[in-house]
Amino acid sequence: MSATTDTSLPEGSPRIYSREFVFLLCVLSLVVLVVITASLSRVYHKQVHTLADSWFAHGQRDMQAGNITAALTDYRNALVYNPNNTRFQFSLATALAAAGHGNEARAYLLNLLSESPGRGEVNLELARIAVQNNQLADAERYYQGAIYGEWDADPIATRWQIRRELCEFLLDHGLMKQATPEVIALAENTPAGDTQRLKIVGPLLLRTQQWTRAQELYRDLLAADRSDDEALAGAAKAAFELGQYSDALQYFDRMPRERRDTPDLASAYGMAQRVLAVDPFVSGLSANAKAQRATAALTLAQSRLQNCARQNGESLLETPPRTDLQILWARFQRTQTDWSERDLERFPERLDASMEFVFGAENAAAKSCHEPQGDDRALWLLGRSTSVVNR
Amino acid sequence: MGSALPARTKFRTRWEAWAATVFVMREDRLFLLLAVLIGIFSGLAVVCFRLAIDWTQIALLGPSLYPPFPRVVIAPTLAGVVVAVLVIHVFPGVRGSGVNHTKAAVYISNGYVPFVTVIGKFVTCAIAIGSGQSLGPEDPSLQMGAGIASLIGRSLRLSTEKLRLIAPVGAAAGLAAAFNAPISAVLFVVEEVIGTWSAGALGAIVLAAVSSVVTMRAFLGPESLFRVPPFRVAGPAEMLAYAVLGVAGGGASLLLLKLIVYARPKLQALPSWTQYLQPAAAGLLIGLIGIRLPQVMGAGYAIVDQAMHGQFTWKLLLLLAALKMLATGFSFLSGTPGGTFAPTLFIGAMLGGAIGTIEHHFFPFVTGTVGTFALVGIGTLFAGFLRTPITSVFMVIELSGNYTAILPVIISTMIAYVISRAYQKVPLFDLLARQEGLILPSVEERRETMARAVEDAMRADGVIICEPADQLAELSRRAEANAEAALLLRVKPGEWWLLDREELIRRAPDASPTTTAVHLKSKGPVPYLFRDQTLEEALQVLGDWPLLPVINRADLAKLEGILTLEDTLRAFRKPHIEEKDL
Repeated sequence: MSATTDTSLPEGSPRIYSREFVFLLCVLSLVVLVVITASLSRVYHKQVHTLADSWFAHGQRDMQAGNITAALTDYRNALVYNPNNTRFQFSLATALAAAGHGNEARAYLLNLLSESPGRGEVNLELARIAVQNNQLADAERYYQGAIYGEWDADPIATRWQIRRELCEFLLDHGLMKQATPEVIALAENTPAGDTQRLKIVGPLLLRTQQWTRAQELYRDLLAADRSDDEALAGAAKAAFELGQYSDALQYFDRMPRERRDTPDLASAYGMAQRVLAVDPFVSGLSANAKAQRATAALTLAQSRLQNCARQNGESLLETPPRTDLQILWARFQRTQTDWSERDLERFPERLDASMEFVFGAENAAAKSCHEPQGDDRALWLLGRSTSVVNR
Repeated sequence: MGSALPARTKFRTRWEAWAATVFVMREDRLFLLLAVLIGIFSGLAVVCFRLAIDWTQIALLGPSLYPPFPRVVIAPTLAGVVVAVLVIHVFPGVRGSGVNHTKAAVYISNGYVPFVTVIGKFVTCAIAIGSGQSLGPEDPSLQMGAGIASLIGRSLRLSTEKLRLIAPVGAAAGLAAAFNAPISAVLFVVEEVIGTWSAGALGAIVLAAVSSVVTMRAFLGPESLFRVPPFRVAGPAEMLAYAVLGVAGGGASLLLLKLIVYARPKLQALPSWTQYLQPAAAGLLIGLIGIRLPQVMGAGYAIVDQAMHGQFTWKLLLLLAALKMLATGFSFLSGTPGGTFAPTLFIGAMLGGAIGTIEHHFFPFVTGTVGTFALVGIGTLFAGFLRTPITSVFMVIELSGNYTAILPVIISTMIAYVISRAYQKVPLFDLLARQEGLILPSVEERRETMARAVEDAMRADGVIICEPADQLAELSRRAEANAEAALLLRVKPGEWWLLDREELIRRAPDASPTTTAVHLKSKGPVPYLFRDQTLEEALQVLGDWPLLPVINRADLAKLEGILTLEDTLRAFRKPHIEEKDL
């Protein structure tokens, strides 16, 4: 017994009940209590985990049966008994999202994300909820998180699918600048022989105006199957946009008529035909035919300039000429005597200059007024086409 | 000779020798060791208590969050009858608040908490909470901790002083394990039970709280009562949103307090036979609510977790908050044993979630999630209802493990606290104690009572400062001009002497010009005071001195006034400004 304690035992108390003895008794009873509590807690945890797993299994069954409401209750019950089980939390979040409760799901997913930021499936669910809520920046961020996140099963294929989803989301929301690198990355991650995926990537390349890449992709597809309608349509469209009207026409001609006449292709097909019909540089044309086409083009360009000036309330005869239309008109007035059909036939070297004027006039009118239609549009497209540049 | 001793005596001799070596420690050291032991015991008790509640709940209501009808009505009703019988016939001491029982142990019964109340609280609260009564396990855990501590203290025959302190130590351990929040538990016990930051008790309280939480976590895991989703708090403009929550929380806590103020005496005044029926009636009413909204039943931590994760619409959140208030009122007023901490957290979370959702709807720029508002709401209700503002702030931080919320929580809790105080003068625990016929010291009042200072009692007149070189004739003239004034001789800065007035007047006429003040009979040096010291300190210094000089802390030669016993007593008689207002 300590000699310095404040209280001493009452006289006559048996020493066996001293403070030290009671203390030891406390420690011993503590050990017994620890053993009892440990046993009880083991039984409790076992029971609770059984209950949690049972509720979760119920939930999975209900989800598979399409009974989302029941599944939600089951998952919530499972979480009562095992609140930190991330699989349960994710399943509840998925069920909530499936039931249209995106915001409710979001809170659970954010919880999961804070615990494991690299978890792909959580990022993906968050991205989809952000899409539903029209939160574009969040959606893009979470999609990126999902693409570069961890995936247990077939990560390459899963990432490809998510990138595709991201590309479609960006394009659907007009985010062309952000979509372009993603589509290019998607195309580069697509195996060459995988026709199914190439057919998914092709339209995305077209939507992002990656004409050359799209053309190469469709050529690969056509190399595997020459009569593949979808590949022919894609190749035709890519060739058309690249100004390769002759190639485009060939692809169009190889398509079945009913496919070619679908609204999305018919106008391109018609325009390709027009472009080739007005092009004086088509190989194989006689000098006379070239001259005739150039003369017709000059006439069209002249009236296009006049119409556009009239529409703008502008006089083409103003001196000195100031606007593009006036400058072009003044130039035409000076040189038109050199560009008669006969002169163009006799002096083919003047063809380039005359057509340069035509393209310049169509371009200026398109800028000043509106995009041209009909043969004017054909000439305008011809002027812009790389085939002319390369010629 | 040793070999001749009987075996028992030999053992005893060895034991005493060993004990003398191991247990030679002062009582305050033993007290710290005991705190750890109490913490572990309390932690184990709380683990068993929680298991008991969960098992009872599974047995009575089933394993689902949504118990089926008619079980949802029958279970709490029948359990109410059982609880009433147990409380009336077996464990009459379990009625009332565990906090007040612990305070009574400190202030009335020298640390005595009957151990039967520990068993009683364990059994009756497990049945009540497990059957769906809208009560929580924290207050019973607190009392169980206090009871265990008291038993250990008594068994070890601690001094009365330590016995008084041991109940709060156990209370902190019990509460810490129940909340899984040691800091909040320590603060609560300091803030509400003992009322002072006593260095002697604080170490033991902290040790007990920490060891109980460690024990509890060893068996039930480190997880918080509910998971708080990640959140962030944007700029200062957003604080306005939390101020609104503070106002709503203050109103709600006031409503709950007023319900208790109004209804509890009325129910207590009913004939005694109704006490058999009151818990059952409460159970029946809660069961009826539970048919449609079983979320209000029990402690409701799982539901708070769901609210944190934005699982309810604002309408449902408001409805749950209102019905939980009602259900808690039924359970608590019926005399069913159990605590109000968990229901307070529940109501706060629901109210916070609702306010957050509504604010989001009207002000989409508010960035705080529903979970953030629910979390802040918890602290708000806690501060408004239980009137423990510091605990409330730290509890939120401890539960969330995130300091980001500290500003919103402070703003919201303080508003709620001020509103609650303004319209309900007596805090909950004091109110309950008074209703039970106990006048326990009000910690809130004590906390806010301003100590009277020397400057409240001192006066600047009535003293003549004399210098050592002052001639007696001149001093005598001054003394005669001011007949009542005392004469203080400033020997040097910080050294003052009291001159004998009568001697001065007697010697002055015959004194030579070289006779100065230092030649007079004087008493000193006089202890001095500073104006900011308390009058309690001044009284201790005053002793037999007729007056004490009050001097400047920066200039010990400068006299600011004098203090007499009469002045001091007059100041004590004078009411404080706040007291006058009341």
